[in-house]
Amino acid sequence: MAILVDKNSRVLVQGITGGAGSFHTKRMLAYGTNIVCGTSPGKGGQTVEGKPVYDSVEECVKEQGADTSVIFLPARFVKEAAIEAIRAGIKFVVVVPEHIPIHDMLLVRKEAMKYDVTVIGGNTAGIITPGEANLGIIPDIAFKPGRVGTVSRSGSLTYYVADTLTSSGYGETTCVGLGGDPVLGSTFDEILLKFEDDDATKAVVMVGEIGGVYEERAKDTIARMKTPVIVMIGGVFAPPGKRMGHAGAIVEGSMGTAESKLKVLEEAGAHRARTFLDMPRILEKLGV
Amino acid sequence: MRLYEYEARELFGRFKIPIPEGQVVNSPEEAAKVARELGLPRVLKSQVLTGGRGKAGGIKIVETEPELAEVIPKLFDLEIKGFPVEKLLIDPKLDIAREFYLGVTIDRLNYKLVVIACAEGGVEIEETARTNPEKIMKVSLDVDEPLYSFDAIRIGKFLRLAGDQLKQFIPIATGLYNLFRKYDAKLVEINPLVLTADGKLIAADARMSVDDDAMFRHRDLTEMGIVQRHEEGEMTPRERQATEWGIPYLDLDGDIGMFPGGAGFGIMGNDFIHYYGGKPANFMDSGGGPSPERLAKMLVLLDENPNVKVIFGARFGGISRCDDFAKGVLIFLKEHGLSKPMVMRFTGNMWEEGLRIFKEAEQENPQLFARIEYHGIETPIEEISQRAVALAKKVK
Repeated sequence: MAILVDKNSRVLVQGITGGAGSFHTKRMLAYGTNIVCGTSPGKGGQTVEGKPVYDSVEECVKEQGADTSVIFLPARFVKEAAIEAIRAGIKFVVVVPEHIPIHDMLLVRKEAMKYDVTVIGGNTAGIITPGEANLGIIPDIAFKPGRVGTVSRSGSLTYYVADTLTSSGYGETTCVGLGGDPVLGSTFDEILLKFEDDDATKAVVMVGEIGGVYEERAKDTIARMKTPVIVMIGGVFAPPGKRMGHAGAIVEGSMGTAESKLKVLEEAGAHRARTFLDMPRILEKLGV
Repeated sequence: MRLYEYEARELFGRFKIPIPEGQVVNSPEEAAKVARELGLPRVLKSQVLTGGRGKAGGIKIVETEPELAEVIPKLFDLEIKGFPVEKLLIDPKLDIAREFYLGVTIDRLNYKLVVIACAEGGVEIEETARTNPEKIMKVSLDVDEPLYSFDAIRIGKFLRLAGDQLKQFIPIATGLYNLFRKYDAKLVEINPLVLTADGKLIAADARMSVDDDAMFRHRDLTEMGIVQRHEEGEMTPRERQATEWGIPYLDLDGDIGMFPGGAGFGIMGNDFIHYYGGKPANFMDSGGGPSPERLAKMLVLLDENPNVKVIFGARFGGISRCDDFAKGVLIFLKEHGLSKPMVMRFTGNMWEEGLRIFKEAEQENPQLFARIEYHGIETPIEEISQRAVALAKKVK
């Protein structure tokens, strides 16, 4: 079991003929990811790594039964690409590019909610279900099938956590990169709920960092979950950050500091890890 | 990216939001000339990209000629939170009956745009929001939804506006909201929105921040001279250098030079150093897939920083590759040379290749590597952090 992607996912790559698109298609295929096709408007009929290229996502769904998309396109094209995928019937969209305009992501999120689609990113390293599927730019070296799920905003921290879980023998069910952009397609609580419903996931490691409000949003979910959650927040010693005027303070209050995040999450029952090596220690104590 | 008040005000004007008839000046001489031409009294407002300028003495009401002569040079000598004052806005003095707050921002938690209004404008607005939240009105909207006139009327009534003033308020609220959407703003704020003694609503201040990532579709802003800038605070010389090289970098007050991969571990690595009793000298982010040349520049910043005693390097190759990382370090070693101890670790994408490049170069020229300890996946990053802290304590 896993969440969001597995070996049966029928994956399409939006922007498959581009430099990053074709490079990572090759890597993802080498891992065993079930990539069925890709899109590149005007290049329908070509092939990349032996996979057919179509002009539109609609054709990918109709001809190849695609249900999952990974986007490798310049940031300015992401809004249209994601909405195209959502409306064509794709159920899970991975936005790898970074610096997506915030207003664009708000619109993508609205569409995703309307059509009950999960979007992760922008600026995500992707998602990996070890041994089954690897979507995005994640190096597979640190990952091994196992029983702990991870969700993180940062790619590099996802690798460090998986490396620790793998070398301590726990392994991973699925590792999700939420992305580093200021407005993201999914939030921690939404991914945590998916792990809660996954029988194979015996614990979840959530890694957040200063800034933004997505960590705080997870508190009610963590409080309700049966699956234990280990939380690590980066930036405890970071200098105080910038604020977004009076309006930002009115809307977001004191959210955003590492202290605020750790406080509400620990109160909700999450177990705090200061370092990666704390994680196997906590898992052992929890009997995972 | 924050706009100057005079820039935001120009955009306000384009959206039919009433603004004072002010004028921007660039020198003390020009300021005196313009103020005299327009006639006293005047309000002189420092143009800086930071808040709190009123409290810092950056806004002065000038009633008389001697005051004018005294105030102008003082304002131009001012530095507010590290920003020197280089421009003034010379405004008429308004006869104020009431002051309101009106703003639009993004509610990231709920993925909405939110219009915020309060009948009590001014600098204490955040305090009001905390102590008397009922005095603040928030209207949440989807990013593709307009602010309808009836929404504006509802907000205007909350501000206790009626009759002609309510009528004046509607296009101000809708105009501000349309401006927000049109320019991919993160924030627009009128604080205060003033009701003058003769019954006119006017935006006495204008604050605006736009999304850097959306500038590609706002040529007209670029043409106004609104280009990449830092939002807050003065940069140190090293921060300025790093910015020129396109490297996100912040000076901190410790002695361990941080040479991490992405921003995620950049932040977490700093915590690790603290947990083990050390203090980082900087924050840095390589960005995704940095070139060897860029990595070499990151090391130059650290090696030339006199506060740095030890360099801590960590690379988990993702989109970036450890062989490029190794090549970057080699370029630095050969062209610049390393003057302090460095401890580093490779894992992830191509880590073995990275180590191989190092070993080969070390065999060729052991001298290059005299100050470097390098590790692979077998050594946990926690140990590398502890090692860096221990080395820093050894260096006097």
